[in-house]
Amino acid sequence: MVVVQRRELTFWERIYLPEIFRGLAITFKKMFEPRVTRQYPEEALPTNEVTRGQPRLVVKDDGNIACVSCGLCEAACPAYAITIDSQETERFIEREPERFEIDMLRCILCGFCEEACPKEAIFMSDELELANTTRQGLVYDMKQLERPASTLKPRIDYVRRINDRW
Amino acid sequence: MVDLLFYVAAAVSVLCALGVVVSANPVQSVMMLLGSFTGIALIYLLAGFQFLAAIQILVYGGAIMVLFLFVVMLLNQGDPVALAREQGVLHKEQLAGGLAVAGSALAVLLVAVARTDLPRPIFGYLWPEGGLDPLLGMAQAMFGPYVLAFEGASVLLLATAVGVMTLAKRQRNKPVAAASTSEEASA
Amino acid sequence: MSFVIILIKASLIYGGLLGTAAAMTLAERKISAWMQLRIGPNRVGPGGVLQPLADGVKFIFKEEVTPDGANKGLFRLGPIMAAAPAMLTIAVIPFAGETTIFGIDFGLLSLTDLDIGLLFVLALSGLSVYGVILGGWASNSKYSLLGGLRASAQMVSYELSLIMTALTVVALSGSMNLREIVEVQNTGNFLDWHCFTPVVGQVGLILFVITTFAETNRHPFDFAECEPELVGGFHTEYSSMKFALFFLGEYCAMTVMACLTTVLFLGGYSVPFWEDAPWIVQVGTFMTKTAFFLFLFIWVRWTLPRFRYDQLMNLGWKIFFPIALANLLLAGAVISLS
Repeated sequence: MVVVQRRELTFWERIYLPEIFRGLAITFKKMFEPRVTRQYPEEALPTNEVTRGQPRLVVKDDGNIACVSCGLCEAACPAYAITIDSQETERFIEREPERFEIDMLRCILCGFCEEACPKEAIFMSDELELANTTRQGLVYDMKQLERPASTLKPRIDYVRRINDRW
Repeated sequence: MVDLLFYVAAAVSVLCALGVVVSANPVQSVMMLLGSFTGIALIYLLAGFQFLAAIQILVYGGAIMVLFLFVVMLLNQGDPVALAREQGVLHKEQLAGGLAVAGSALAVLLVAVARTDLPRPIFGYLWPEGGLDPLLGMAQAMFGPYVLAFEGASVLLLATAVGVMTLAKRQRNKPVAAASTSEEASA
Repeated sequence: MSFVIILIKASLIYGGLLGTAAAMTLAERKISAWMQLRIGPNRVGPGGVLQPLADGVKFIFKEEVTPDGANKGLFRLGPIMAAAPAMLTIAVIPFAGETTIFGIDFGLLSLTDLDIGLLFVLALSGLSVYGVILGGWASNSKYSLLGGLRASAQMVSYELSLIMTALTVVALSGSMNLREIVEVQNTGNFLDWHCFTPVVGQVGLILFVITTFAETNRHPFDFAECEPELVGGFHTEYSSMKFALFFLGEYCAMTVMACLTTVLFLGGYSVPFWEDAPWIVQVGTFMTKTAFFLFLFIWVRWTLPRFRYDQLMNLGWKIFFPIALANLLLAGAVISLS
């Protein structure tokens, strides 16, 4: 049990008014201090490679999607946000996704898909904004998810660096 | 103009006074009473007694009716269904009693009005002419010739207030032990 | 002619009052933001100056909800009773002395010059509590009822101190007429303002300002609302323009009380070292003084925490009332000695 010892108030504290004036002085001074508000839509949030934004699919430099539709991210997703249908392809990897959807309303930005991916095909981007007028509009299909590898470069390098430590 | 305002004010105060008796809801009654007082204050104002009008609103409207309202809101108003059934049912005794009181009051008023030599037109007469300061006049009357009566009334009111406090203060049913210790302490 | 002049004065004064009330809603939000290192509303118009307009439009288009079991008539009467007294009392406040603009004699720059001006203000501000009580009772909600009850007890208690303190000024200036109260102080020497009367003036000013806070239901005495305990207090169930009317009433009451404090203690429209200043300077001086008190209302709100209810009652009855009485006696002593 903690016994709080209350300090005996001095006379000036007990008549209360001087303390009120002291408080008023503090709030008055605060009026002229720099503001901490960020004007969000105009002033974007600072992001860097550690930012864990919405997951995006990597499009390799040759224009093909890196995903082989193995389904590991789908299985790893704790929110069941990912849906993959696969199809055959003439490319060496033989399989690629026909349909790759992430329901952004379900996605919790945990990054498990990124960790689960064996082919460096899905990464957490620095994109954070999410707005639409319908729920269906926020189920992103492959077209909306694809990003060239160059834009995801910092994150890819970061993830490689982290994984190298293991 | 003044005549018209007088009739409006009079109608308001009379209708509101009726409303006090008729409305089933006590809070509504209090508000009606407030309306009635405001009407009377308006009549004072028309007669040139600004001070009286302001005091009427300040004391009755601002203080006494607020306390009424305070008490009425705290009251248990009973079952609304039963109240609604009671509404409009006048018991014979109530009717007789009410009529007797109202009738005698009306009779007294009529006799008083009949025996007073009222100047007419009323309003032209009562407006203070030549810039008489009604406040000053009232103050001089109150603290001049009638100072004894004024002070007497205030002492009487004070005594009443103290008396009411003493009567209304509930004797606390303290536990015996606590009571005895406090007695010991005082002894 | 005089009717036209009165009409002009009325429209100016009421336009000014409502404009001030609207501006106060913006000022409240802006200043609170600055004090908390925020920016505040800045989206509507340059720097957010049109925010009150946007708020007004929003209020008008909101759905009006009347709760089940509410007493319809009284529920409607509540906001009216809250807003009307504050708007009526501005009529007796003198904004400048004898005024002649473009050769037209406007007389005293106030709507009416009542002998009982101060009493008129006090009587009507006493009525403003009905809005809160009725709103609270008629809403058929426990939170509203508690808010209304608290407000009624609080206002009756603090009105006593308020009237006693105002009486000090009446005693000092020998009149209840607000114009005469100002004229007594308007000597060209600002030390004649009532707030510079030794001891009596300062104690009176502080008491008056504090009781004014209680009378207008402002922080730190806003027990009628008291969000953490009572949701929204007496206006929990109000929506749309009815709610806006409560809001408007509160800000109008603040404005009137700030004007009254200026008139009673800061010499109203009297300009320091310039006894018969032109009307525009007098109005400007008056508005500056009033603006200070309006700022004080906001300033205190965003500085002090709310009192506890029993502390409020103790403060009102056991501290303020005796001090106000003693101050009145002291004022009597000062007058009889001088």
